Amino acid sequence: MTVKALRAIPSGGKNGLGAFILQCKKLEFHYCDWAGSSKGMNGFIKSLLPKFAAANPQVEFSISPRPGKHPVITGHYINGRTKPICVRNLSPYEILEKLELLRDASGEKLKRANKAVTSTKPSVRGIWSPYHGKGMIV
Amino acid sequence: MKGIRPSRWGGQLLHARSCPATIPRRNFLASTVRCQSTVPAPAAEDLIEQIPEEGETLPRKLPSPLPERALQSAKLAALHSRLSLSKKIPLQTLARALVTPSADPNSSFNNANLAFLGSTIINYHVAEYITCKWPRLPMAIHYEALRAFSGPESLAQISRRWGVEAAAAPGEEVDPGLLQWASNSSALVGTRWGGYVRAETDRKHSFYRRGMSSRVVLDNDFGDAVDAGSVKDAHQHHQDTSFSSFVQAVVGAIYSHSGREAAKDFVESHILSRQVDLSSLFEFQLPTRELAMLCAREGFEPPLARLESETGRHSRTPVYVVGIYSGKEKLGEGNAPSLDFARRKACMNALKSWYLYSPGNKVRVPSDMMEEGAKPWKAPHIDIGEVI
Repeated sequence: MTVKALRAIPSGGKNGLGAFILQCKKLEFHYCDWAGSSKGMNGFIKSLLPKFAAANPQVEFSISPRPGKHPVITGHYINGRTKPICVRNLSPYEILEKLELLRDASGEKLKRANKAVTSTKPSVRGIWSPYHGKGMIV
Repeated sequence: MKGIRPSRWGGQLLHARSCPATIPRRNFLASTVRCQSTVPAPAAEDLIEQIPEEGETLPRKLPSPLPERALQSAKLAALHSRLSLSKKIPLQTLARALVTPSADPNSSFNNANLAFLGSTIINYHVAEYITCKWPRLPMAIHYEALRAFSGPESLAQISRRWGVEAAAAPGEEVDPGLLQWASNSSALVGTRWGGYVRAETDRKHSFYRRGMSSRVVLDNDFGDAVDAGSVKDAHQHHQDTSFSSFVQAVVGAIYSHSGREAAKDFVESHILSRQVDLSSLFEFQLPTRELAMLCAREGFEPPLARLESETGRHSRTPVYVVGIYSGKEKLGEGNAPSLDFARRKACMNALKSWYLYSPGNKVRVPSDMMEEGAKPWKAPHIDIGEVI
């Protein structure tokens, strides 16, 4: 028996390959009853939030007052990061846009994608090798 | 593969218990008298009798949250929906899947039974997939491939990617949507499933009877000796088994409530869809000899190494490209800074391409036959395994 096995744990699955897990797991809302900057937020919580929460059951919602402060929405993600967005003086529909942004975010830091495709599979054509073929005749 | 009958175990798990019947609760305050009461105080002897001993005074705290609290937990409902579980699986069952035996040793309330059911289903589907997709794998590689898909470390990783968080400490008051486990608990988590404790574990002879056949017969699903206690990093091991038991229990719950096909779909989409690089699992000791034996076994001409190209023989960094040929067929190729090592690498590549033969991505597995209207079974080619 000359073949032995090494132990290797795969580094991780690709989300969406097989099953998709929404990365935003919790959305926290902070509002103030008195301050003017929370006016839009209070209207949002009364009018739009119930529908949004019913449409997104995979996210946990928590709403708590924070008197004397600007209203804030915080997204908590599966990778452990959070994204807070201050929504002072925004109208309910502007807040809804911010909320959709938080819900759809992956939680990772934003990075520039230079390549159209990033793949873990080896290339079909193979890597060029200087030791094979006849080489180029100059 | 051991003969199992999972259909027998499902029935008892379908009923989520509404009230912990076995844990007695004593209403201590009902038996005492208020300080400013007009009722005459009882005699001193009565008082002495009524003072209970230490440990019995307060109503005992439950080790895990009550099942009916599952309906109020936002975390649990979000987790249920995030996993796209069917409505047939009640939240109480999902809450029970989150209670590990290290938190609550009572098996009517912890996930031990569900996790055992789930682990057999997961390991069955992964094993049949590996066997049919890579029919020539040696047994040692088969075990490691199984562990890479469904071992405790991999399943713990999956449950973390589902967004499962552990409670700081298990108890009655914590949110039912948190995983409950205790690292200092003496309760065995999962180590007693499958396999037998070997008689020679006490003898400290770790190399005694460690052949592959005895691993198949005696050891657990991953070919590890069943031996409680001697784990290197006990805390990490405990954590991984606790998190992985949740994944197993979810599969067990899906099997119990939604049936076999839903459980298979879940295993395929969450566990079998992970990318595992099997070529990184091989470690060859005598590749040249093994390739010669393989060619003799299969009736090929004996392998011959040929130098294909080289560069910088007298330099600091020479490169040799060696190909292994059997007659006119090229079996493999490798490059290395020395002639001997290049030949060995070429042999390893040839052996890997033999062992990692796959009939294709869409292989039929035996459980496909359980679907209705399945085409007649055509037996796949399964090789005899390792060469030497």
